[in-house]
Amino acid sequence: MSDEIIQIETPFQFNEENKREFDELIGRYPVKEAAMLPTLHLAQKQAGYISPAVMKYVAELLELTVMKVKDVVTFYPMFFEEPVGKYVIRVCHTLPCALRDCKVVLEHLKAKLGTDIALETNLAKGTTDDGKFTLMKVECLASCDVAPVIMVNDDLYKNLTPEKVDEILAQLPN
Amino acid sequence: MAFIKLNDLEIEVEDGTNIVEAAREHDIEVPHYCYHSGLSRPANCRMCLVEPYGPIPGAPPGTIGPARQLATGCTLTVRSAPPERKLEEKYDAIVRTDSERVIKAREDILEFLLVHHPLDCPVCDQAGECDLQDFSYRHGHDKSRYLEVKNVPPKKDLGPDVLLYSTRCIVCTRCIRFCDEVSGSGELGLINRGSHDEIDIPRSHEGIPIQLLDNKLAGNVVDICPVGALISKDFLFKSRPWFMEKANSVCSGCSVGCNVTVEYKTDGVYRIKPRFHEDINQHWMCDDGRLGYHYVNSDDRLQLPQKRVDGELVTTQWADALTLIAENLSEVDAADIVVIGSAQGTNEDNYVLQQFAHDVLKTTQLGLFGQLPGEEHKFPQFTIEADKNPNTAGARTILGSANGNVVLEGDALWEKVAGAKVVYLVSGVPERALEDAEREALEKVDFLIAQDVLPSAVTELADVVLPGTTFAEKDGTFTNSTGWVQRIRKTIDPPGEAQVDWEITQQLAKQLGGEIDYHFAGEIAIAIAENVAGYGDATHQNIGDAGIKLD
Repeated sequence: MSDEIIQIETPFQFNEENKREFDELIGRYPVKEAAMLPTLHLAQKQAGYISPAVMKYVAELLELTVMKVKDVVTFYPMFFEEPVGKYVIRVCHTLPCALRDCKVVLEHLKAKLGTDIALETNLAKGTTDDGKFTLMKVECLASCDVAPVIMVNDDLYKNLTPEKVDEILAQLPN
Repeated sequence: MAFIKLNDLEIEVEDGTNIVEAAREHDIEVPHYCYHSGLSRPANCRMCLVEPYGPIPGAPPGTIGPARQLATGCTLTVRSAPPERKLEEKYDAIVRTDSERVIKAREDILEFLLVHHPLDCPVCDQAGECDLQDFSYRHGHDKSRYLEVKNVPPKKDLGPDVLLYSTRCIVCTRCIRFCDEVSGSGELGLINRGSHDEIDIPRSHEGIPIQLLDNKLAGNVVDICPVGALISKDFLFKSRPWFMEKANSVCSGCSVGCNVTVEYKTDGVYRIKPRFHEDINQHWMCDDGRLGYHYVNSDDRLQLPQKRVDGELVTTQWADALTLIAENLSEVDAADIVVIGSAQGTNEDNYVLQQFAHDVLKTTQLGLFGQLPGEEHKFPQFTIEADKNPNTAGARTILGSANGNVVLEGDALWEKVAGAKVVYLVSGVPERALEDAEREALEKVDFLIAQDVLPSAVTELADVVLPGTTFAEKDGTFTNSTGWVQRIRKTIDPPGEAQVDWEITQQLAKQLGGEIDYHFAGEIAIAIAENVAGYGDATHQNIGDAGIKLD
């Protein structure tokens, strides 16, 4: 047995703006635990990913055990436990997108970015060496009428072809 | 009270009883995994499905039949219904646990539970006391139809005494609920999603723990795990459960007096598990008690009497040791003798000891010795007391039961000891360090007789050492801090020529011409019942497995 537990060297803390936002959103929920998802989103926005330090901070804020936070973080694929690229590209691969050749889009992205597809447990696998992009497959993005679709961070792009993908990538600021 | 029809039985149960418990009372098995009577009921394993009966919608009033869906027995509670809602004009509920639908449902649920379960019973510690094994045998399919690849999550180290074999886990979440509700520490949770669910402690992405399963009740999760997923490192690969004998006893770790089962073979104690007692420990015990038995099996145990020759302790024969003691005792005044009983000893040990002091030595100066106080630990549903002796209350009462006996403790005792010529100290306290005042007092004694189980700070100072016995090697009773008198039972034989403490005292008495003549612990308990106020009913026969509470 290694009695070794992780020592958090730099504790995480909300910056002033996020602290204000947290104070506002916590008031909307009857119990603190219910604010877990928005709090985690806020924390991920600031820290980039949910590190042990973030989990500890969120647990303390919401008066929960660290395990309760970890539980939620591992349940939802939108929370990252390791660093991801500046742009997270989510390629829908559910049925309508698959019928409309999402595979072509995906293969094109793979070749263009020179990376593999990230796994939920191994995001590094789909992250480019320069840390700019993370490529991952996701389930339905609720836009089947305009398939195939991808999301780049919070923006949805529709009716994609390899050419359109090139355009999208080109207009992303560095 | 609710009057229910369970299969073909007509039974009465308390309002609010669930079907699993109602059936258990009448020896009907309703198999279950996630349900535990000491925890909340999430009804997630679906194993305890039963078939409730009720009015059939659309049918003429008064016709009843099986409900459209099966219900989980653990959450289906019954209570007395108003007359107009009685079924068949007399029952508050009608439930079947043996219908074809129920039997089929159990089979199917078990098939799902076994989807990712490995067939590693031959190397699994739980084999022989495994609910999955037993229920599969009694309620399951005889073969698996699953051809796909099984999930193989890793084996995990959760904390100082608990290992998790994730592959065997059926995700009943008993352990998580235990940590949330009983110990209140919440170290355990579920990671991932769906069929990849795993029990774990919080870890970083690289798998380094953020927090360990390291509370003083952690061992209980091993007991409540219905399969072989949570395993005690202390017991891992030590023995098959069916090779061990079991005895109902009481934990000697503190004054709570948790009911336990001591599991043993001829060569020693193998493990200690909690036993249900509604008013004392419910289903639980702490790890201090659970893992505190190792001194019983120690190779260092005192096996022969010892006497001091030229400053060194050398082993000797019982007859020699007893003669030596008798010589020293007969030369001194009663006023110069102090007899000290042990809070680790049974009521019977202490009764014979005070009888010896009072009737044979004619001294009224007694003392009480025990483990140094520790820390009190409070959990939402459990308390570990600071007094680390199982029988302080009993020893105190019983040593002081004869006319004129004074039982000294603490500073008063050591002051008296410092002025005494002969001290007979029954210790039996494992790993007890002596405080300065205690050591100084004992050093001043001319002739110190120490009765102990292990070489200790006390035996180092003694002139004669007598090998006594631990809780695992004798019959008797302990009185806990809330006044429950409970039985401990002999499991293994004492090592070497060590003897039960009251028998040693009795031999000493005989050596000095006294008339103490008991043959077994139960006989002493009868004497206690006759002579000690409050213990009137406390014979071994009355105490049984449940214990009795003193007024």
